[in-house]
Amino acid sequence: MSDAREIALEEVTVRLDGRSILEGVTVRLDARRIAVVGANGSGKSTFARLLNGLATPTSGTVRVHGVDVGREPRRARAEVGFVFTNPDAQVLMPTVAEDVRLSLRGSGMARAELDARVAEVLADYGLTSHADAPVYSLSGGQKQLLALASVLVRRPRLVVADEPTTLLDLGNAQRIGRILLDELDAQLVLVTHDLELAQRCDIALRFHEGRLVAVGEPAEVVDAYRREYA
Amino acid sequence: MIALHVPGDSVLHRAPAGIKLLALFVLALAVSLYPHDLPSLGAAVGVVVALHLAALLPPTTLPKQLWQTKWIVVVMVATQLAFLTPWDALVNTVRVVSIVLLAGLLTLTTRSEDLLEALETGLRPLTRIGVDPRRVGLTLSLAIAMLPVVAGIAARVRDTERARGVRLGPRLVVPVLVLALRHADDVADALTARGVD
Repeated sequence: MSDAREIALEEVTVRLDGRSILEGVTVRLDARRIAVVGANGSGKSTFARLLNGLATPTSGTVRVHGVDVGREPRRARAEVGFVFTNPDAQVLMPTVAEDVRLSLRGSGMARAELDARVAEVLADYGLTSHADAPVYSLSGGQKQLLALASVLVRRPRLVVADEPTTLLDLGNAQRIGRILLDELDAQLVLVTHDLELAQRCDIALRFHEGRLVAVGEPAEVVDAYRREYA
Repeated sequence: MIALHVPGDSVLHRAPAGIKLLALFVLALAVSLYPHDLPSLGAAVGVVVALHLAALLPPTTLPKQLWQTKWIVVVMVATQLAFLTPWDALVNTVRVVSIVLLAGLLTLTTRSEDLLEALETGLRPLTRIGVDPRRVGLTLSLAIAMLPVVAGIAARVRDTERARGVRLGPRLVVPVLVLALRHADDVADALTARGVD
């Protein structure tokens, strides 16, 4: 990956079963914290999924930090972490520590180094005492923390989070928001319905019916979005 | 029955996973082949109890594990009584329950990642005929992790059924299957996103 912290979409269109999901999206972004807002079905999740190759453009190109995601999806995924809305869909292993270790599978790290990295991440997110616990015994907030830990243990350069606080209570939502916005070193693309969180980002994008309709100062983009439903 | 790992420091916890897997195989073979007499049955039950004691697990563990085999016992006894003598039905049921309890003890005293690592090592010679041991290990891990998820889906569908005042009966399987398949799609996405596809 190049050093440039740039996400670049060039005339990206996504169609599914003849239906347009995204239409002609062109944008270049190098801000550290990027908020993505819009109504359900507006195309914002598809935009997020394009960034690590979970969705494929019907036409156009997606480049993340210099890598063409369509041509080199594995290389892109190695650098782009993805946090899903529902941690139940993201947490894949029977116990907490195993799930974090899964992310380092095939990394070539020595066992001692791998153990240390897993222990460090579990401690960072307050999960050390749950290391050997079955994942189904965790609360929703703890599961989302685990999902985040499993992404961040790979030290991605870009984290894409698709409505990561939607299913959480206020306390857990605030904690996840704080980690993503204040503690993360990586670049962040945050798809969210939480407009307070969106306003704390450096730039905001708004999608409407598959089109990118606004890019700019979060406060302005969010205000315009609110006015539309006032 | 999925008995998840209970951390501990017993001899059984410390023993290498590969050795325990091999021991389970040998014990299962011995239990399957022992003669149909009372001393042999007593020996099988004795081994199961002794190993559980050696594992220094909470005292309620063995009764709980035994209770979880209740449906195996019911189905085995009921079907065998139709064709065999009560003694043969008892012998066969004790055999199977003993093996299930020993397998449960293996998972209780072994972290599943150690177990899968041992399994992957054991399967390595099969790479020559195209078997990918890592993929087999991952598949087994996923299967273990997905059982509570599917149970959760079934519970959710039952709650919805009650909340809406309808009784789906055997048709309950349809929404459970649809939701499970949708979850499978999500899992596929997660595997891809996490770079383990």
